[in-house]
Amino acid sequence: MDFLIQGFLKAIELLFAGDAETFSAVSATLVVSAYSLLATLAIGLPLGFCLGYFDFRFKKQVRVVVDTLLSLPTVFIGLVVYAFFTNRGPLGEWGLLFTLPGIAVGLTILALPIVIALSATAVESMDRQLRVMLISLGANRRQLFLSTLWEARLPILAAALTAFGRVMTEVGIAMMVGGNIKWQTRTITTAIALETNKGEFAMGIALGLVLLLIAFGVNVSVSSLRKRY
Amino acid sequence: MGSALYTIRGLEHVYRDKPILRIDRLEIPSGSIVGVIGPNGSGKSTFLKLAGFVEKPTAGEIIYGGKPAVPFASEVRHKVSLMPQEPFLMKRTVLNNVAYGLKIRRDLSRLEQRVHIALDWVGLDAGEFSKRPSYALSGGEAQRVALAARLILKPEVLLLDEPTASIDALSAQLIKDAALKARSEWGTTLIIASHDWQWLYGVCDRVVHLVRGRLMGSGRENIIFGPWQPGENGLWEKVLSDGQRVVVQKPPEAISAAVIDHAAIVPADRLLPSGENQVRLSGLITRLALEKASGDIVGSVLVANIPFTTTLTEKEVVESGLYPGRRVHLLYDVRNVRWF
Repeated sequence: MDFLIQGFLKAIELLFAGDAETFSAVSATLVVSAYSLLATLAIGLPLGFCLGYFDFRFKKQVRVVVDTLLSLPTVFIGLVVYAFFTNRGPLGEWGLLFTLPGIAVGLTILALPIVIALSATAVESMDRQLRVMLISLGANRRQLFLSTLWEARLPILAAALTAFGRVMTEVGIAMMVGGNIKWQTRTITTAIALETNKGEFAMGIALGLVLLLIAFGVNVSVSSLRKRY
Repeated sequence: MGSALYTIRGLEHVYRDKPILRIDRLEIPSGSIVGVIGPNGSGKSTFLKLAGFVEKPTAGEIIYGGKPAVPFASEVRHKVSLMPQEPFLMKRTVLNNVAYGLKIRRDLSRLEQRVHIALDWVGLDAGEFSKRPSYALSGGEAQRVALAARLILKPEVLLLDEPTASIDALSAQLIKDAALKARSEWGTTLIIASHDWQWLYGVCDRVVHLVRGRLMGSGRENIIFGPWQPGENGLWEKVLSDGQRVVVQKPPEAISAAVIDHAAIVPADRLLPSGENQVRLSGLITRLALEKASGDIVGSVLVANIPFTTTLTEKEVVESGLYPGRRVHLLYDVRNVRWF
């Protein structure tokens, strides 16, 4: 049990001493999480809205596919993204392999089904009268979309938080696509994996606690936003 | 009343392969009040949604102000407003719900003051209600807020779907008053679907009757749905819950709906005119209402559990001593029964 206590003390030391390596990993984690979350919301929310809002042929089948993609293995995503970004791959010339944007692409693929499925469920569960009301008050299509999302803001916020939690704690994609390069693409999770392999459990636990602290901070911020709006 | 604001031609709407509305032609003049009556499931709400440009019809066209219009079209988006039977309020304060339409129009001048005026129209004190969240309203208050959200837009057309159903009497009266005030102040055309036909006959310039998705006429027709069974003397009949028989000539189909255009009311203690084609039913007068457009009195007689409607003159009402609660005979001629 000593290494747990040591890990906790080490975490405080790392954060308050301003350890450069730790902050590099924290920064990389936040950057890839933010990039991927923004991309996921930009793509996933309209798709989730359409899936939940409109009735169309094969809607049920599309829903089954999206739900299935929720359990897409991260190493498989890492493998596919790696294959696309490697020099011999179709997108090799983009130079995204072993970069933070490269990791963000993989994480976006991971989080997209979460945002699509949960936002579709959120929109689907909205009262059908909302549409009638918005059109009756003069909303155009864009206003209809934005107002519906705003009315479903709490479950959509929950979807975004779920996606954020998933991308921030992901390790397979970050390891394969990012390469775990110190000072560059090393995220907190890949750093934990490395420290554990080295037998540095205390350091691994310390980094894990840092990750938890970040997650806690994000949740507290979102919770206060939820109360406000 | 002005020229035709709406011209509806060949309108058809199908839901899940089932036709639910078909209107060959209907014109609604600008500034008029049109009532829509009909039984549940007759297509009233669908008609209002189509006329409110909330949904697109399966076929046919709705010409608004001389131009064909569809949902989201700029000609109608800011002019026509529908208040559905169960008004939905957003998870916002009353103020933000009422101001929503103006905000999306970017019409923000004196916003709060205008919200207060709109709330005042529907009898809600702005000081007390404007900051209140929508979930803290009663059913009647929510309905009035929903109406205020539409009145603040000063719509050219206001469509009200059962605006007074399942709310308290005070809210119902305030909603009726506010809608009529919109018409008198801005010339708003009102299209109202309601079961409260006494109110509709009292305020409407025209009442249309929807049955099984088809326009039937003025709403004074009595529609008796099948099934019919063979009776005596080659006639067919429907046995009512109290054992009385509605007798008709042979229907096109056993499930056809019979339309009895006119039935005379005679007090039960009077001698009845005899005639082999005359059918007599016994019932109670439940309502007498003045029809604004014609000056006639519209009477409703409950026979078993079926309400019959008939038109009376003031003289008939006075001379026969007709009043709600009086037992009467209802007479009609089997040869005058139409089929629908």
